[in-house]
Amino acid sequence: MKSKRFSIPGRMVLPTVLLTLFVGTMFIAPLIFTFDATKIAVSERLAGPSWAHPLGQDGFGRDRLARVLYGGQVSLTVAFVASLIALAIGTFVGLIGAYFRGPFEFIAMRVSDVVLYFPPILLALLVVTIFGPGVTTLVAVLALLFFPSFSRIAYSETMRVSVLDFVEASRALGTAPSRIVARTVLPNIMGPILVQFSLTAAACITVESGLSFLGLGVVPPAPSWGQMIRSARTYMEQDPFGIFVPCAALFLAIYAINLFVDRLRDVLDPKGQLEGKDAVSATKDGAGTPELGEGNVAELRALTLTLDRGADLPPVDLVKDVSMALRANQNTALVGESGSGKSLTALALMGLLPSGIQPTSGQIAVGRKAGTPVDLASLAPHAAEQVRGNDIAMIFQEPMTSLNPVLRIGFQMTEALQAHSDIDRAEAREKSIAALQSVGIPEAASRFDAYPHELSGGMRQRVMIAMALLAEPKVLIADEPTTALDVTIQAEIMDLLRDLRSSHGSGLSMLFISHNLGIVADIADWVVVMYSGEVVEEGPTDQILRDPHHPYTRALLESMPSAHEDLHSAKGDRLDTIKGTPPLPHLRPSGCSSRDRCPMAQPVCATIHPDLYRATSGTRAARCLFAPEAPEHLIQKEAV
Amino acid sequence: MLRFALNRALSAGLMLLVVGTVVFSILFLVPGDPAELLLSSDGITASPDAIASLREEMGLNKPLLAQYGEFLVNALRFDFGVSLIDKASVGDTIATRLPRTIELILAGLVLAALTGIPAGTYAGLRPGRRFDRIASAVNAVLISLPGFVIGTLFIYIFAQFLRWLPAGGYTSFFTDPWLHIKQLTLPAITVGLHLFSIIFRMTRASVLEMRGNDWVRTAVAKGLSRKLVVRRHVLRNALGPVITVVGLQMGILLGSTVLIEFIYNWPGLSGYLVTAVQQRDYPSVRGVILVVSALFILINLMVELLYSMLDPRIRLE
Amino acid sequence: MPEKLVEVVNLSKSYQSAKKGLFRKSRIPVLRNVDLQIAPGEILGLVGESGSGKSTLGKAVLKLIDADEGDIVFDGQNLGGLTTSQLRARRKDMQIIFQDPYASLDPRKTVRAALSEALETHGLYTGDAQEPRLEALMKMVGLSAEFLGRLPHEFSGGQRQRIGIARALAVEPRFIVADEAVSALDVSIQAQVLNLLADLRRDTGVAMLFISHDLSVVRFISDRVMVLYLGRVMEVGPANDVHFAPAHPYTAALVSAEPSLKPKGERIGLKGEIPSPMNPPSGCVFRSRCPFAIGACDEKIPELRLIGQGRYKACIRDDILKGAE
Repeated sequence: MKSKRFSIPGRMVLPTVLLTLFVGTMFIAPLIFTFDATKIAVSERLAGPSWAHPLGQDGFGRDRLARVLYGGQVSLTVAFVASLIALAIGTFVGLIGAYFRGPFEFIAMRVSDVVLYFPPILLALLVVTIFGPGVTTLVAVLALLFFPSFSRIAYSETMRVSVLDFVEASRALGTAPSRIVARTVLPNIMGPILVQFSLTAAACITVESGLSFLGLGVVPPAPSWGQMIRSARTYMEQDPFGIFVPCAALFLAIYAINLFVDRLRDVLDPKGQLEGKDAVSATKDGAGTPELGEGNVAELRALTLTLDRGADLPPVDLVKDVSMALRANQNTALVGESGSGKSLTALALMGLLPSGIQPTSGQIAVGRKAGTPVDLASLAPHAAEQVRGNDIAMIFQEPMTSLNPVLRIGFQMTEALQAHSDIDRAEAREKSIAALQSVGIPEAASRFDAYPHELSGGMRQRVMIAMALLAEPKVLIADEPTTALDVTIQAEIMDLLRDLRSSHGSGLSMLFISHNLGIVADIADWVVVMYSGEVVEEGPTDQILRDPHHPYTRALLESMPSAHEDLHSAKGDRLDTIKGTPPLPHLRPSGCSSRDRCPMAQPVCATIHPDLYRATSGTRAARCLFAPEAPEHLIQKEAV
Repeated sequence: MLRFALNRALSAGLMLLVVGTVVFSILFLVPGDPAELLLSSDGITASPDAIASLREEMGLNKPLLAQYGEFLVNALRFDFGVSLIDKASVGDTIATRLPRTIELILAGLVLAALTGIPAGTYAGLRPGRRFDRIASAVNAVLISLPGFVIGTLFIYIFAQFLRWLPAGGYTSFFTDPWLHIKQLTLPAITVGLHLFSIIFRMTRASVLEMRGNDWVRTAVAKGLSRKLVVRRHVLRNALGPVITVVGLQMGILLGSTVLIEFIYNWPGLSGYLVTAVQQRDYPSVRGVILVVSALFILINLMVELLYSMLDPRIRLE
Repeated sequence: MPEKLVEVVNLSKSYQSAKKGLFRKSRIPVLRNVDLQIAPGEILGLVGESGSGKSTLGKAVLKLIDADEGDIVFDGQNLGGLTTSQLRARRKDMQIIFQDPYASLDPRKTVRAALSEALETHGLYTGDAQEPRLEALMKMVGLSAEFLGRLPHEFSGGQRQRIGIARALAVEPRFIVADEAVSALDVSIQAQVLNLLADLRRDTGVAMLFISHDLSVVRFISDRVMVLYLGRVMEVGPANDVHFAPAHPYTAALVSAEPSLKPKGERIGLKGEIPSPMNPPSGCVFRSRCPFAIGACDEKIPELRLIGQGRYKACIRDDILKGAE
């Protein structure tokens, strides 16, 4: 990737050009042509457009084009100067208040608050009453009105930035505070301040023109748009054009600035754009009935998930050719590092793929308690709703955000029950409280009425588990359910999950997703290891952990400190590691995708993309030419 | 909850006191004699007699602290003195005109909320689709049109050109309900359009943000219908920020209403205010600003209480 | 006890609680009466769950936050007695590595700018000597010198963590606080960085306070381990001893809760949830969750006492966890 620091991002080109053109016209045109904005020609009052006066003449016969241009100069200058003053004062106040805290903070923020509690135009009118109208008053008033928004933003942004580790790192280095503020904090808060500057400029134009419209802003004979609208109102019936011209100028100025702000915001903070997460969009309709193997409750067959990267970039396969079977009453672990595609695979099973990611080949099948298997990723929305939570349920990594913070826990549980059965309130409540008790939540009846933030992380995860099991699904997907929890809480949740199978009346198959091979050891019967979107090895848990066949699985085990209790750094011991980092999905190497990190890689690994070779016994499989499962002829043929 | 409400009410009260103090003291912050300042214009100084009589009239000869105390006590009794121009009671004038301003704002708010929230939700749930693109483009135009520009254009289009509705004026509802509504329509839409653009924008952004949350995914995973997911887990959460922003926007709205009332000859507070400012009728200006600022603070107090009902976490902060 | 590079004496720290109303304010204690010593070249591991105060302790040792009471003595000098500018100069000897490789680098500064800020602040390797030093630093953390001109977003998490380590090493510190420095990394990358830290200690003799919630990682890298719970020290001792034969019930519970490839003995379960730091239990703070708690546990705060070669625990019971002796 090349650094793009000095070029204008594509989305900024149009608004920048528009704004430059607009401002340029206001200031440059009068230099080239000679206009007189104040010359009165009563005989030609309200004359229409002519060569000498392209926009016609106003009620005093003055040239309207000249008045629009000069009025623009006045409006834009007032707005710019006032915004600049507001920016300077506000940013300084906010920065000092937030970085040095203490009394600075109190004074800075309280002063801003007081100003914010006055409706802007009214405060302006109060000041005008005392000082009388005029451009200087106007600039002062606008700066006073708008500096609090800058100090608020500078304050909150500085608060955000100054607790970031890199600012702390500068402090730890002994860098002087003034240098930290100027070189580290300020550049990182400039984005939002720039956005605010543009917004303020637009607001200044609005307020200025409004005041001038009332005759309390820019005073005649100096032209201004607000004033032009005011005087044209008198001749509205004879000369509607006189109103449109300044209105259009005013609108264009504000519109150009707003467009600039919008695009600037998108560029600075891409979060708000369309790529955002989306769990609500309907899935596409269609797909026939998928088949399900004997004894399996859910199955993926040669599933490929593809990310659409827009028109300019080719789509990329995030998950490739993944096959996996969840057997009845068995726990399967799906293990891999971040980016291996393990969570996407699970989401595909649930039909919850993020927008932009689609299954492009292969088959997904989820068994139902009654009826034929379905493919949730392509089922019609209404049909999918009846399966999700009913036949297959899921719990997530972050218990702190997985429950809706504004609804009571009880409500969130009963709505899950009511979605799948006709059950009255009282009964749903009883069932939910029983479910809370069964996952080890003390005082379940009172917790039922609690809000999520009143519970600890461990308790919330228990609530999630209880909620997922309410409708007695056959399959439970647990996506890193303990990663965000402390180790002692993690152990308790693992105990709970392990016991579910026996306590869950009609049997349960769990798909347990984790980055930690250690944690799956005593919960899973079967382990599937993923790397860079592919399954690289699978088999019974004890066999995989005792004797991994794929070099990557082996390396994963070797690099865990907990697997090497005899090693200690003080003795000069090192952990066996895999060199390098996993490839990005669109930059996978040719042949075997783990070859550039593999200690055993041979030249042949670059030419053959290995299949997931299955042992004749049918239990284990590994995606490596040198695994015991791989047919021997493959390597020999290439070697010759 | 009660504790939270009392707490917020207390700080709103404090804020009112601060606002009152600022309004009172702003005249004295300026160097020179306040009476002289108010009477002078364009460098021409008023006669000493006039100044002396104004000082007497405004009680400027009393000690500052006494003036301040009197001002606060009187303000609590809705007594803001008499106009310098027509000697009418400022409090009485405000009491007659304030309900008309509130009526206008409420009408605009209802129109804007009824259209902005559904449109914003629809656009936020389907970002980048046709409805969103069109609505967002229209909104970008609306947000760039100051209220008095919309008002001026509306008068031309609907009153002058099409002659569908009156260009302005005010008739009491009890005198002629139909005419009252006709006269209310254009100003209310003008006020509402600006609010609509803010509500639409905020609802869209908020829905867009909320729909990506983990708990929405949980709700879908539970098998809730799309309608319920949107209503309970997206919209319910999205409304809090929308209400907050609308509350803060009320300040700007109260300001732009001044212009809109002026354009449509709607005899609310603003015509009074504008005339007062033009004539530098300080007691009237001070009274109106005090009342409107108090209104603004009260609105924000209500918004905070409403938000805390929507989101239990707020009560803890 | 060998010579001390860092010594913390009776350190306590509390935070202002979030405002609850206009006037009512209260303080939440996060660290209470903590003592520790670190010898030159030693790695002291600091273990604890969330809310234990381990990160606060790491920052307090470096004077990045001010403690309410207690002293920090670095190389015989009490840091509390220094002026701000003296302290800034002293920072050359003590550095920090952070957890989040994405937040720890300024997105707007190239690697070169980040590293040279460190050198310039202390007037090290000025002029022509700067570039060779930057290249040497990059090599030391296993990165190519070509990367100096790049911005943080062009690196993976593991590479960023190496850059963070290079920044800390730039000023040739004698002591580094590694605050969850490997916790955010995938296991294969984590092992690389652990090896790097072990190598650096061997080659440069830098001492470390290695903070982590992962007991196995801490056992592997540290010489000694200290266990914190609710702001108090529960146990201190040589890493292997503490790990394989914990003396304090809390340490025993932590070790037994760790996921492991090998089957373990019976897990020592804990009761209830971590109490609020606002009103911790009287006497031993751990007693409310301790499976071995007896009546006497609530009477007074157990002191950290010597129980064997370099081993200390804050527990009044000697009749439990016999493996320790």
